Amino acid sequence: MNITLHINGKEQPVECRAGEMLTDVLRRSGYAEVKRGCDTGNCGACTVLVDGAPVLSCSYLAVRADGREITTIQGLAEEAKKFAEFLTAEGADQCGFCAPGFALTVLSMKEELSDPDEAEIRHYLAGNLCRCSGYEGQIRAIKKYLEAKHAQ
Amino acid sequence: MEILEYARPRSTDEAFRLIREQHGTAIGGAAWLRTNTKTLALGVDLAGLGLEYVREAGDHIEIGAMTTYRELETSRPLKARFGALFEATVGHVVGIQLRNIITVGGTVAGRYGFSDLNTTLCALGARAVFHPGRAVDLADFIEKGAEGPFLLEKILLPASVRAAYQQMRISRNDFPILNTTSAWTGSGWRIAVGARPAAARLCREAMALLGNDPHPSDEKIVAAARAAARELQFGSDIRASAEYRRDILPVLIRRALTEVRG
Repeated sequence: MNITLHINGKEQPVECRAGEMLTDVLRRSGYAEVKRGCDTGNCGACTVLVDGAPVLSCSYLAVRADGREITTIQGLAEEAKKFAEFLTAEGADQCGFCAPGFALTVLSMKEELSDPDEAEIRHYLAGNLCRCSGYEGQIRAIKKYLEAKHAQ
Repeated sequence: MEILEYARPRSTDEAFRLIREQHGTAIGGAAWLRTNTKTLALGVDLAGLGLEYVREAGDHIEIGAMTTYRELETSRPLKARFGALFEATVGHVVGIQLRNIITVGGTVAGRYGFSDLNTTLCALGARAVFHPGRAVDLADFIEKGAEGPFLLEKILLPASVRAAYQQMRISRNDFPILNTTSAWTGSGWRIAVGARPAAARLCREAMALLGNDPHPSDEKIVAAARAAARELQFGSDIRASAEYRRDILPVLIRRALTEVRG
């Protein structure tokens, strides 16, 4: 099937099979920052935004993305870099494999929730697994990042 | 899962025709396609048919079949009518990214044993509306399925029911070991139990025992919870044994009934 994806503001015609998932199509099209993690809808590594909402691209039919706005971490690189500084400062990033999906979910949360408390942050991020960090540093980094954003 | 042919109909009439006449299979959220090994000869995509809504309709609330779990979780009409019930029911399902994909219709039509939502819908006395307008009791559908091809369009919920949900999981985002919802309908009690690990069922003996008293005593609640554990069948799987499920069910039901009774 021939579909047209709008990825990070760029129009990109791609070919895909009807049952193919968005992860496969994006990675084949060169978007290697979309990580293939568990590939079963559990870990959050493959998170992308579709029309601004975070979805697991391993569980999202590629044909459904036809004509929709897809954002990978590259599409929000500037803001992601700012957030990454907070992760670094808190020692919250280790292997980095979960980071693209994790950062996209945080940036989506920032848009959706005005002033989330720790319980809301943990609830929102429950679908992003990290096998290195134990989450505490990430939670500190998110809180400080959100505080900095509010102060601006 | 492989989909050999894909159709995106422009109306529910066209979708139903493809399902009925060309043996098409409706595609809801498609969240579990990755882990399914079936091959669909014709996948009929229900996206774009306007089936994404939660709206008040007189003494009912209508939920479109393509409404996502995240939309349920954040719906103001549902929160206004049922408090935190839907947040509690679907908020443990993996993560927000998957809840932005999973649909109400896919869950109901799939009659999944592990479903949290089907348990709550059964307890609320929901009705499933199949195109072109045939409404059936949702608990009956979960138990017996449908005869022949069908297209699920929406769910109807009675708006004045009070209900509480309880569940047990090994970890927060895992599939449930057991779940249960208790509801006071205004004229009687309804108790549904799911993830036994088989699909949700009503506990009719326990419901009868509670009768039409909106304020049953603690003793009556305990008796009903025990009756529910006796009347249902449980199975064992990787998450828990049948015996464990049977043992913890009365505790969960007691908590749910007590919460609703107040």
